[in-house]
Formats: sequence, C-alpha cells, structure tokens
Amino acid sequence: MSLIEIKGLKKSFQGREVIKGLNFSLEKGKCTALIGPNGAGKTTTLRMLSGLMNSTEGTIVFEGTKKGDDIRKFIGYLPQFPVFYDWMSGIEFLEYVGKLSGLSKKVACERALHLLQVVGIIDAKKKRIGKYSGGMKQRLGIAQALIHRPQLLMLDEPVSALDPFGRREILELLEKLKKETTILFSTHILNDAEEICNQILFLHNGQLVESGSMEELRERYQQSRIDIIFQNNEENYKDVLKGLTEVESITSEGKQLRIYVNDIELARREILRESMERNWPLVKFEVSGMTLEDVFMKVVGK
Amino acid sequence: MSQWLTLFQKELLEMWRNFKWIWVPITFILLGVQEPLSSHFMPQIINSLGGLPDGAVIKIPPPSAQEVLIKGLSQYTSIGVLIIVLTTMGLLSGERKSGVAAMILVKPVSYESYVTSKWVGAMLLMWGSFLIGYLATWYYTGILFKWVPISDFFASYFYYGLWLTLALTVTISLSAMFLTSGMAGFLSLAIVILMNVVTSSLSNWMEWSPAQITTYANKLLLTGKIPDSLFPSSLLALVCTIIFLLVGIFVFKRKELASS
Repeated sequence: MSLIEIKGLKKSFQGREVIKGLNFSLEKGKCTALIGPNGAGKTTTLRMLSGLMNSTEGTIVFEGTKKGDDIRKFIGYLPQFPVFYDWMSGIEFLEYVGKLSGLSKKVACERALHLLQVVGIIDAKKKRIGKYSGGMKQRLGIAQALIHRPQLLMLDEPVSALDPFGRREILELLEKLKKETTILFSTHILNDAEEICNQILFLHNGQLVESGSMEELRERYQQSRIDIIFQNNEENYKDVLKGLTEVESITSEGKQLRIYVNDIELARREILRESMERNWPLVKFEVSGMTLEDVFMKVVGK
Repeated sequence: MSQWLTLFQKELLEMWRNFKWIWVPITFILLGVQEPLSSHFMPQIINSLGGLPDGAVIKIPPPSAQEVLIKGLSQYTSIGVLIIVLTTMGLLSGERKSGVAAMILVKPVSYESYVTSKWVGAMLLMWGSFLIGYLATWYYTGILFKWVPISDFFASYFYYGLWLTLALTVTISLSAMFLTSGMAGFLSLAIVILMNVVTSSLSNWMEWSPAQITTYANKLLLTGKIPDSLFPSSLLALVCTIIFLLVGIFVFKRKELASS
C-alpha cells in the first residue's frame, strides 16, 4: 500500500527545469533513500513534498486525503540546515512546535521531554539553542520533525553534518523509527542508505534514473568483480589483464584495480593462472559483489 | 485560535527576551518628555551656556501646554516612526531569510495566523510604548505648564496611534515582500515620507489623506473641537491599514519559503 504517490512532478527555476518529471510512490512502513550526486534535485524534491515549494507541474497525493487538504500535519520534515529561534531553549522550541501542530500543552511537554531523551540531548534541554553545537541542532531538528507523530518523516541529509559517533547514533535511531513510521531521507553517503533502507531512489539531473529495493538493484546490476592490488605500479599489468577472455572492463581506484568479469569462476582461474606464470607480486586478490556504490556509479555514468 | 495564541505568546516572549519591552518604551518616554523639559528650562539653559550678550532682548512667549504636547507628538511621528519601522522591518523577512519560517510553516500552521500574530504583537508594543511615553509627556507638561484635560490626551493619543498603526502595517507588509529587512525598512520610510510630502504639498486635494490625521488631532488639542475631516481621514487610515495587512498576507502566502 502506498502512503504517498507522486506523478509527473516537475520544477523549473527561471525557465530552467531542475526536476524533470518524477513518478514514484512510497510504501507504508518502508524506509526509502533518495540518492544522488550534489545538484541532482534531492532537496528540491523533498521541499516540494513538504509543501515548502510549489511544483511547476505534477501531483502529490497523500493516502486518504482529498485535493486541497493540508497534508502538513502528516509530515515531519528536517531541512538540510535546520534553523531555530536561538533565544529559545531546546524544550521550549519543541513544546512550541508541538502546540503549533495541535498538541495540548501537557501532551506537547511530555512529548518534548520524551523526544529529547530519544535523540540524546535531554541534558541540554534548558540551554539556549544559540549555544547548541551543530550536532545538537541536528538532533533537535529530528526531534522537532517527530513531535506530532507524523506518518511520513522526511529528512534532508540527516547525518551529513555529524561526526562518526553522532552518525552512528542517528542511524540507530532511524533504525528504531523505521518500525513506527515511513521514512524518506536524502543522502549522498551510500553506506548509510545501504544499511537502513529498503527502497532506493536514484536521482540524477532531476530525473529518477533507477529505483527499487536493494536486492532488486543488486540483481539487476549484478556483475562480478575482482579487486587486485599489486606491490608495484598496477599500470604495468593492465594490458595483459585486458587481453583475458573473461575480463569485461577495468577501472583503477587508487592502487586498486577493479576488474569486472563475465564468469567469476572462470575469471578467477584465468587471472590466478596468469599471475602464477608471470610471477606477479600480488598483495590483494578479492572477489567481491556489487555494492550500492557500484550501482550508483553505473547509473549516474549512463 | 489556540494556535494563534501560541504564535502570539511566542511573539511576546521574544520581545521580552530581546528587551524590546524595555528599550522601546524608554525611548518613547525620552522622546516625548524632552519637549516639556527643554521648553520649561530654556532660559536656564541659555544662561548656563553663557547667557545672552548685554542689551540683547529676545522675547520668547512661553508656549501653551497644548503646544508643548503637540511638539512632543511631532517627535513620535518622526523619530517614533523610525523606531517602529526599525523594530518591525525584520519580523517576517528576517525569519524567512534565516529559514526558521520554513521550520515553523512546514507544520500545519496557517499563514494568516503567522502574519497576524506578529502584527498584533508589534501593535501591542507600539500602542503600549506610545501610551507610556505620551503619558509621561502629558504628566511633565502638567507639572511644568498646565494640565491638559485627560480626555484631550486620550483623543490625541488615539488619533496619532492610528497614523502610527498605518506606518507599522506598511512595514509588516513590506517585510512580507522582501527578503532583506533593510529594503523593507527603507521602503516603509519612503512610503511614509511620500504620504506626508504629497499630503502637505497638495493639501487642498488631500483633505481626507491619512497623513492629515496628525494635523487634525493637533487642531483638536488646540481648539477642543473635532475638525470635520478627522473622521473620514481616520477611516481612510483604517482602510489602508487593512489593505496593507491583507496584501502582506497574500504576498507572504504566495512566496515560496525555500528558495534555491
């Protein structure tokens, strides 16, 4: 069952089309990642879904609502750079947005305390937000997005601004939230998406270039790969490797050669035999599967 | 309604936390009170500055209490308006520019409530500060000159307030239109000054101009009679205020909160 359905969504700025017709739907209870390089249109898409920006064309239909209904009460949104009233304390701000979302004073207060606990800044609840660090603001941002128990939680780059510990904690938090609400978040950190998302949307130049679940994508782009590192300059071996029958293409990444092959069994035998005969100084020989990064590179490179 | 009250309470709290509730009334007191004080102590002031040369005779008739009050009021329509514009111009544009407006309006908050809560908050600060400041002026004028009837005081307070309300609403409206508060402030002052200039240079055709309210209110103070055109021009000021407010809300709704 889909919670929200997007059809033919377009957006132009001064005649320049930034979003060129998106069609997708988000399934209830799933966690979806919106992935794309910088400037792909991730933020613009999220802003249109949250109602902060009008679409030039297209429709956004929220399940169970009619045209013209205020869908903001179903949505929790965290912008990429959340801004607060610096003169308020954390708890004051949460209570404020809670009351604005229609909670009673008492419920807003309870909910605010609970969320401050959940995002781990309960100790700073009475501190002015102006004195918060970047990470604390990000956490407060997530708390404010959750205050009215939205059906759809949209997060714009929620972990990009955090240090590794903060990132870990927020990802764990999202893992927990996944069970309660539908999540859509944008990121360019592919590991994060791979870790917690069921669904992936690839956005490139304002178009949806690929989408599906992690497994589907893996299957679709399945291609076996062997990574090799040599003790000396890897360029010396490229030509020989390219000549092998099972090798399809080679890319180098630092000192590492990525060899995309047709049949992993045959290729492994072929490359190892070759290296034995020629006495190659191998440092690393690894058979690896497709990561999201590979899919990303492939999709975007198209 | 409860949502509007929440927004309104936040405005009051913000004005308290950034000390607007303290410095604006104090400024309004100083602005007004200086008139009766300096008028009354003018001879002493001249003496302490070395006095007049021997033989020089300057006769300054002591001003009436009403004239002193009118001088005080003229401070509110010049520097007072400046202060009102300065404290109001960032209310909408500042929040939109910083992005906090987007944080709030992504919640199910009505745009009308958002704008009007700020408008009422700013009005309260203006009317309150003006009352305190003008009351102090009236008090000192009473002590140092003569007591002006309190009913005349309130009548002139009310009509001058209408004019200040219009200036404030113009500022709010422009603050909704421009992202830079400086631009909103500059244009608000320009509009207020333009209204004054056009009204005074074309006074024959501008009998009902809102900018005439202050002239009529002065007459009311001096003569105790209500000038004929006071009501029409007050009504016109109210109508303009409402139009500016509605335009402000309309523009604010149409503007996209996030721009890139």
